[in-house]
Amino acid sequence: MGKMKKITAAAMAAAMAMSMIAAPVSAEEEKKTIKITWWGGQSRHDYTQKILDLYMEEHPDIVFEAAPSGWDGYFEKLSTQTASGSMPDIVQMDYLYITTYAKNGSVTDLQPYMDNGTIDVSNIDENLLATGKSNGIMAGAVLSSGFNAFGYNPDVLAEAGVEEPTNDWTWSDFIEMATKVKETTGKWGTSSDPVLDTNDFHYWVRQHGEQLFSDDNKSLGYEDDAILASFLQMWKDLMDAGICPNPDEYAQISTLGQEASPIVTGDGAFISERNNYAAKLSGVNDKLKVVLPPLSDDSDTKGLWMKPGMFFSIAETSEVKDECAEFINWFINSEEANEIMMAERGVPASSAVRDYMIENCELNQQQKDMFELMTEATDYCGETPAPDPVGIAEVNEALKNIGNSVFYGQVTPEEGAAQFREEANEILERNN
Amino acid sequence: MKRKKRIHSVIFHVGTCALGFLMIYPLLWLLASSFKSNDTMFHNAFSLIPEKWDIVTNYSSGFAGVGGQPFTTFLFNTVFVTVIGTVGCVFVSLLAAYAFTRIKFWGSNFWFGCVMMTMMIPAQIMVVPQYIILKKLNLVDTRIALILPWFFGGAFFIFLMTQFFRGIPKELDEAAEIDGCGKFAILFRVLVPVVKPAIVTSSIFAFYWIWQDFFQPLIFMSSPEKYTISLALNMYLDPNSYNNYGGLFAMSVISLVPVIAFFIIFQKYLVDGIAMDGIKG
Amino acid sequence: MKKKRVKTVYKRHDNIIGYTLLAPWLFGFLLMWLIPSIISIYYSFTDFNLLNTPSFIGISNYVRAFTKDAKFVKALGVTFTYVLVLVPLRLSFALFVAMLLNKKHRFLGLYRTLYYVPSIIGGSIAVSVVWKQIFGNNGVVMSLLAVFGIEQKLSLIGNPKTALGVIILMGIWQFGSSMLIFLSALKQIPYSLYESAMVDGAKPRQTFFKITLPLLTPTIFFNLILQIINGFRVFTESYVVTDGGPMDSTLSYILYLYRRAFTYFDMGYSCALAWILVAIIAVFTVILFKTQNGWVHYEAED
Repeated sequence: MGKMKKITAAAMAAAMAMSMIAAPVSAEEEKKTIKITWWGGQSRHDYTQKILDLYMEEHPDIVFEAAPSGWDGYFEKLSTQTASGSMPDIVQMDYLYITTYAKNGSVTDLQPYMDNGTIDVSNIDENLLATGKSNGIMAGAVLSSGFNAFGYNPDVLAEAGVEEPTNDWTWSDFIEMATKVKETTGKWGTSSDPVLDTNDFHYWVRQHGEQLFSDDNKSLGYEDDAILASFLQMWKDLMDAGICPNPDEYAQISTLGQEASPIVTGDGAFISERNNYAAKLSGVNDKLKVVLPPLSDDSDTKGLWMKPGMFFSIAETSEVKDECAEFINWFINSEEANEIMMAERGVPASSAVRDYMIENCELNQQQKDMFELMTEATDYCGETPAPDPVGIAEVNEALKNIGNSVFYGQVTPEEGAAQFREEANEILERNN
Repeated sequence: MKRKKRIHSVIFHVGTCALGFLMIYPLLWLLASSFKSNDTMFHNAFSLIPEKWDIVTNYSSGFAGVGGQPFTTFLFNTVFVTVIGTVGCVFVSLLAAYAFTRIKFWGSNFWFGCVMMTMMIPAQIMVVPQYIILKKLNLVDTRIALILPWFFGGAFFIFLMTQFFRGIPKELDEAAEIDGCGKFAILFRVLVPVVKPAIVTSSIFAFYWIWQDFFQPLIFMSSPEKYTISLALNMYLDPNSYNNYGGLFAMSVISLVPVIAFFIIFQKYLVDGIAMDGIKG
Repeated sequence: MKKKRVKTVYKRHDNIIGYTLLAPWLFGFLLMWLIPSIISIYYSFTDFNLLNTPSFIGISNYVRAFTKDAKFVKALGVTFTYVLVLVPLRLSFALFVAMLLNKKHRFLGLYRTLYYVPSIIGGSIAVSVVWKQIFGNNGVVMSLLAVFGIEQKLSLIGNPKTALGVIILMGIWQFGSSMLIFLSALKQIPYSLYESAMVDGAKPRQTFFKITLPLLTPTIFFNLILQIINGFRVFTESYVVTDGGPMDSTLSYILYLYRRAFTYFDMGYSCALAWILVAIIAVFTVILFKTQNGWVHYEAED
């Protein structure tokens, strides 16, 4: 029954397919067209377009092809484009994935552009700048900075007769305050998911003087499982006492997004978040404040570190790298661009820009506080750890599952900690 | 007897309405939320009655669009892609289903196996190779890329119509063939009227699926002026910043209107298949 | 008619017409399915992570799935449970409602629309929010249970033992498309059949089993195949409502595969998982096709 024909047809199709994989992809865009992509919400899309228009006005030889996107699917699309050799020239990059892109050589090394001054980084904190370094290259130019912080609702604290926390508060202060809120008002003492990702735990590990990942990224960096066990135990106690929502309750709370979280609506006191928390939610509640996360009770080790908000990276396949670098420089350092941006992407990385904005821009109270906290935080910051390793998304998932089974009471914190080590080491070994 | 019938009817209407409410509750919620002002949206989030109305702001900010494009652009793109995609999809599937059921040709079983196979493959992993091919053909970021996956028929529709064709007695075609009709004439003059319910059903599905398709447009499209509604709606949301939920919900409502309207109009054609009465019995 | 192994003779004329009719689909199939399939099968034998150049690693990905991946087993279990519970329930519910809406009543168009709505708003944010609300720990269902004295610490959607049940319930709730297909098939049954049965004094129950059900078998068969295939490929429900949690209790196979491909940058492995799933679904489908001579009644094959 014409078997031969079938085989030939299949072989031809296969050959076609293979040629498609193997053939180099030629970029056919015009010389000075810069393709740029970012994720964000409605306002970011609108003002970023304005920034691009302004830049094109000043540089008639540049044309932008912008591909704005929602957060959902952004990295799915980016990796598909990269797979077929058509990564946009400038991509907004997240800390979560920068190592993966750097390791596979998909993004270009920005170090030369920083060295020759195309991208001026003189006003960017060294530690912050270093967060873009991965696999021996400068994989991304940091646009904004951030760090772990606690948001709180002053009204709820006042109602409970609790004084507002200061930057030198400790974990036992936090527990005491949260407990009092619960006891006097019946509201949530604190409301966040401590195992949403490894972020909170990473801070905890550093406060114990250890690092989360080993230098070669092939295993966990801390030896003592008691560190994770104590972390889980602390949060489990808070949950069992009804001070913090358990995963079940939290799932319901998070249904409606951060705009409806207890802290915002006045039904809770604290939330473990990032430094831009109050600023980004000022549209729904302009009373919220932010404080540095609690210090360790028995150690002086500085747990906090400067984190990148997001990066701009340039594709290795780009044919307009110089033009891209010039634009990135302007985006980071220029007053015009930052006046339009108004710190929507987080606290600007450049200190000069921050100073300029404090003096010349109409910042709201939350933004001013955010800028100030940024300055205060530097005293509390320790050495910046290496960017998260490849496989971090999977490690996050493992912590989440194990954390939840501890909070549900299915395993003890000690068992959970041991199980996490096993799973995380397997993931890290496989990916690095 | 009449009274009993009446009671039955009351039970039927009360029962279907109660069940219907459960069905439609999320839609009502969406509609109500699109009327709420952004700052009170989540105060009593599950109430269907807005605490503070803000219809105008929500709908105008929604229609103002996103990424430099008014919402009408996305609406137009989606209508364009959906209409062409639906017509192509249903028509091509009809031809294929007819071939599979009424014509004995070499390899038909093999190809039908392929049809079934395409239904089983997870679309999530096909999108990367598909992108590579579209890229080769220079079709990435064109509306053709959105229409292409649908235009040449779909396994679901072929299979559905195949089942309907197989439910029609062959005497019908044979009679027509004796009257001197060709294969095409048999299909369009004799069979199409009989399988109308299947065509209507397929159209309803195709319309909805193309309309709300998210993943393929997401990967294939880059220019906002060519985005479809599902992509645009996604652009309203960023989990890490403050969101304009009012505008998002308002536009979600707008995006559902054509789908529901299409259904209401087309479900009318799901009427009794009179055509077959002459043949049977 | 007994099947005999006779070599079918194809007429040249029929071949030409057959392929002419099939040509548009064939073209689309080649472009959007066949070639991509071959590429993805190739990926499944490589260490492709989307960003690197794939290098051939033999059957390692397949070996890894069956020997080293506990989540693969977990996701497969979740998906099998989902399919085996959901499909019969959804189909019987869909058939029941379709019969109900096939009668002559006022407002029929309205009711059909109401019942189809859940299928239209499928995976939207509204559905996610509302379902979490209804089954969450302050939700209507929990309050109802409490009224009947069933006090539970965890909500139905937050409890790993019951979360999948909520997802299945959501699948049943979206029965609209199956209903629609049943409805259009019911419309195809000639009314004269019922009339003559009524003249013979048949009761409604008898007409259902003697006329409706046999004539519906092609559609039941279709819906069954379709629902099994779609059931195995369930993604949106667990992605939107529970995101696989709590503790992977609703981690569907496709959700896992999707994470592998795009979140964990493990495309080669993900492709292997995909083709394992295709094989599983194919086995089910082929078995069902083999059984259809026994119970499916086609008018065209008398």
